Amino acid sequence: MAWAMLGGPPVHSDVAPGRVRELPEPPRGDEPELAAEGFVEEALPWLDAVGRFALRLTHGDRDAADDLTQDTFLRAHRFWHTYERGTNAKSWLFTICRTTFLRDRERIRNQRERPAADFDARVEALSAVSALGSPPPDPEHEFFGRLIDEEVVAAIDALPEEFREVLVLSDLGDLSYEEIGTVVGIPIGTVKSRLFRARRLLQERLREFAVRAGYVHGGDT
Amino acid sequence: MMRKRVGGISCEDALARLWEFLDDELPPQEESAVRKHLEICGRCYPKYDFQRAYFAYTRRVRAQELESTDARRKLFARLLAQESDARET
Repeated sequence: MAWAMLGGPPVHSDVAPGRVRELPEPPRGDEPELAAEGFVEEALPWLDAVGRFALRLTHGDRDAADDLTQDTFLRAHRFWHTYERGTNAKSWLFTICRTTFLRDRERIRNQRERPAADFDARVEALSAVSALGSPPPDPEHEFFGRLIDEEVVAAIDALPEEFREVLVLSDLGDLSYEEIGTVVGIPIGTVKSRLFRARRLLQERLREFAVRAGYVHGGDT
Repeated sequence: MMRKRVGGISCEDALARLWEFLDDELPPQEESAVRKHLEICGRCYPKYDFQRAYFAYTRRVRAQELESTDARRKLFARLLAQESDARET
């Protein structure tokens, strides 16, 4: 089952033609065994949801989001023995993702105080990552739909962090209020107030866009 | 001023619960009251437009695969490498 979920065995594109890199081979007719029992069944189904959360935490930087998602699952795999099977893998993974993101960001902030050469090299590396930006738009995507999606994404990314994280966890991660409270470490009442405020801000910003673009008139309600 | 009640609750109360209704976070009785109100009330329904459009967007995004195949291959390769390193040390 795991190989089907994972889309086949790992493939390395940097292997020279005609050569076969030594990779762990899946048992014939079966999937490779990971030491963390149940990890494939309970954790991996949340890969996309965590990836979406990571993408918004990193303001749409796909490379950074990929790294964050992989780091999240590597940590989850390493500490799988601390997870109580059958509880709530989803909340657990989102918590790890958020903690990893905050830890990495803190680390980057601290590194700014390091010697100038080191700092310059890191800034350059970060700039290179940022310059890659989002992938080119899908040309087959319907224009108006894409424009609206892009505006929604831009409006979400522009939200203050405390609002953005609850909105993304709820609306893109599909977490319940209780699960969000667990991930962020805040009471349900605070989850609700932040979430509703976030959506109101989003609505205001999208409305401003719609007026500017001429989709609705400024006086419409 | 007497507030208009449709389906057992006022427009103000229905709109105050709208997001919780859409998030499926209301207790069954309140959920039913808001649902009835929205089905009947012509005043509230247009105010529901943004929410419907927004949730259509989030559903669409959730349904999209994030280049899953490639991401999963890379992740699985790293997990296996991690396990291999752990066994060696």
